[in-house]
Amino acid sequence: MFLAPCRRSAAVACLSATFALAVVAAQSRPSDVWWAPGQGTPFAALAAYPNDRGEVGVLNASGPYETKGHPFFEPIGTNGRACITCHQPADAMSLSLRSVRERWTATGGRDPLFAAVDGANCPTLPAADPRSHSLLLERGLFRIALPWPPRRADGTAIDPEFAIEVVRDPTGCNTDPMYGLQSPNPSISVFRRPRPLANTKYTTHQNFGVGPFVTKNGTPAAIDPATGRPTSMNLMADARVPTLALQAQDAARQHLQMAGSLTATQMARIVEFEQQVYVAQVTSSTAGSLVEPDGPPAFGPRNLAAGEAGVLGNNTTRFVFPLGARWGSGFGVSAEDPRRAARESIARGHDVFMFRTFWIRDSMHLNTVGLGNPTKRTCATCHGMHMTGMDTANGWMDIGTTNLPWASEVPLNPWNEAKPQLPLFRVTCKADVRPHPFLGRVIYTQDPGRALISGLCNDVGTIVIQQFRGLAARAPYFSNGSAATLRELVDFYDRRYNIGFSEQERQDLVNFLGAL
Amino acid sequence: MTASRRRRGWFTLLAACVTFAPAAGAADGQLNFVGCPIVRDTASVPCWLAEYEGELYFLTIQSDVSAPVTPPWLGHRVLVEGTLSSEPRICGGVVLKPVHLSVLPERDASCTTMLPAEDRYNLTFEPPRPPGPSLGRLAFDAGPAAIAATPAIPPSTREFVVSYAFDGLVAFNHAAVLSEVLAFATAVKAQSIEIVGYRGAVRLSNGQTIVEEASIDRRRAEQLAVLLRGANLTTPEYTVRWEDLSTGATGVDDHLMRRAVITVRR
Repeated sequence: MFLAPCRRSAAVACLSATFALAVVAAQSRPSDVWWAPGQGTPFAALAAYPNDRGEVGVLNASGPYETKGHPFFEPIGTNGRACITCHQPADAMSLSLRSVRERWTATGGRDPLFAAVDGANCPTLPAADPRSHSLLLERGLFRIALPWPPRRADGTAIDPEFAIEVVRDPTGCNTDPMYGLQSPNPSISVFRRPRPLANTKYTTHQNFGVGPFVTKNGTPAAIDPATGRPTSMNLMADARVPTLALQAQDAARQHLQMAGSLTATQMARIVEFEQQVYVAQVTSSTAGSLVEPDGPPAFGPRNLAAGEAGVLGNNTTRFVFPLGARWGSGFGVSAEDPRRAARESIARGHDVFMFRTFWIRDSMHLNTVGLGNPTKRTCATCHGMHMTGMDTANGWMDIGTTNLPWASEVPLNPWNEAKPQLPLFRVTCKADVRPHPFLGRVIYTQDPGRALISGLCNDVGTIVIQQFRGLAARAPYFSNGSAATLRELVDFYDRRYNIGFSEQERQDLVNFLGAL
Repeated sequence: MTASRRRRGWFTLLAACVTFAPAAGAADGQLNFVGCPIVRDTASVPCWLAEYEGELYFLTIQSDVSAPVTPPWLGHRVLVEGTLSSEPRICGGVVLKPVHLSVLPERDASCTTMLPAEDRYNLTFEPPRPPGPSLGRLAFDAGPAAIAATPAIPPSTREFVVSYAFDGLVAFNHAAVLSEVLAFATAVKAQSIEIVGYRGAVRLSNGQTIVEEASIDRRRAEQLAVLLRGANLTTPEYTVRWEDLSTGATGVDDHLMRRAVITVRR
């Protein structure tokens, strides 16, 4: 596949000379890449959108897509938002901090994106004041309010294994009399990034590692009510809903503030769209096209659409992100070509990802699943699913992005005026349950993650591994937006696991991740 | 909680559960002890060792989730129940084989020993799996199972044994057996499921006997019922019992006591 770069006017669809596919592209980001709810524009079969590292490609595998009247693209709730609001094509079907800030500037904070329900730090705060929306404006985070105690799918309450207290509440929402933990409908507000709604055959696969019982802890896997089959539970950060249909329903009620429920037809149309859209970086600003004929089979949305879902790639037969023979010898360009060095760096970054060992320790649902603590492994151990770098099995783990002592915290001292932005909770595992094997009976966390759904002590701070595609288009990273750049993401791992990456390894890994 | 307080907690717990008898040492080939695991790096995968009475013992190497013996955890003590083997030392340790390892639930901050690789302790064999990507299969993947002759009439009753680590409940390695229970019960349209949880003990080589926590037999049985019901196996009638076997420790095959038995009847 060759995706010809379009250097014409910004955000104007043009035809690729090679495959006559519509492409939207520009070197500098145009002002109209934002897809507004109800704008009704036809969605090209293949569109490319610029980002800081090149272009991300969005493929509608079923062909050009009619969006007028489509429930994914129309504001079907009460607050003016549509699904597309937080799943923007230019942002790899997620939402970048860059887009958030552009919308604030363009609309003075009046875009439905900033709806008080979850686009504000707490719905009680004054609208249109940037301080009320600081977590969205500074870290790309939306408020997720979850009932406490947790509830099963049938609505019955779970008796949690732990007690939870609010230690720090900079947003005010967890202690708010209407929305907080002590309110008439007790709930806990955590703040998370939206995930890409694309490449969904991977995020919802029912292949290797998916069975009736979760292979991390033996608990029953969530069942797809439509099919009766167990699910991978890898769709959301906390695995609270297991299927695209249920996610759509949940999002329509929570984020779009839909008065009723999606109709069966609306749900089916949303799912149908989500099952055919693929995203991946297609151009690197330094390495050139990533989707040349016979180029690396890992790259580009077409390869994702053709790939096998839910299979292990942490091996030297299939690979997680196969680069193929061509990039193994000559990199498709001459030695003098300026793209050569960038391609070599990407290839080295791939090898760091696959083969650079380090000691992984004290990570719940990784060190506890038969590998030992510590285990000498590589990035591909956890990020092992072919083509996405997700977990093939039910993939929630604690790598320390939200749990102390590893989570990023503002340094408190007399010389620093910055204050913590995220809430902090104290979790105390009850006396009749085993303490957390690595964190003990008392855990401090910014976001209890899966534990707010399961009620299990061992799930505190566990977050479902997300896919690695379209990363360059959707900073910041991690569920709480704590890594502003890919470099910060790599540095987090280096700090957490005492890896000791060289500067070259860091740069190569960043370049590799940015090409996915 | 400080490390010393945690250690005191562990010893208090152990003392409450320990009885003494004449030592049953390694003379009979069985060696049972509790100690800190030690991880030794090698040029390939790390080795896991433990020290007992001045001798270093080899427990296992790192492989993957398919391994029959999986490595213990630093930060926790490990119960070792092994048989002395005549195999050459591995990573400097006397080989225990077969060996059963139980990571003890209580944290122990004193278990931190990581040894660097030394040429003399490098593995002399190819490990089932390198420390990074595999060659395309799990380390102990037996390949396609032999096709067993399908009985003309499926059995109406089948018994499943769930084995546990010391003081252990359901963990990652139980998903397979639970899936088998679910598949059989669904296939035969089970009418009843009987679950019996057991509590065990281990006679250590120093003559002490350590006993599992008092309610573990009940917790095992009840947890299995909850998990099976949670997997939508709600039609059968459940009978849940438990039994304390902890007076029967002999120092040999004591790990077999730590189990639950699920009997599924059509």
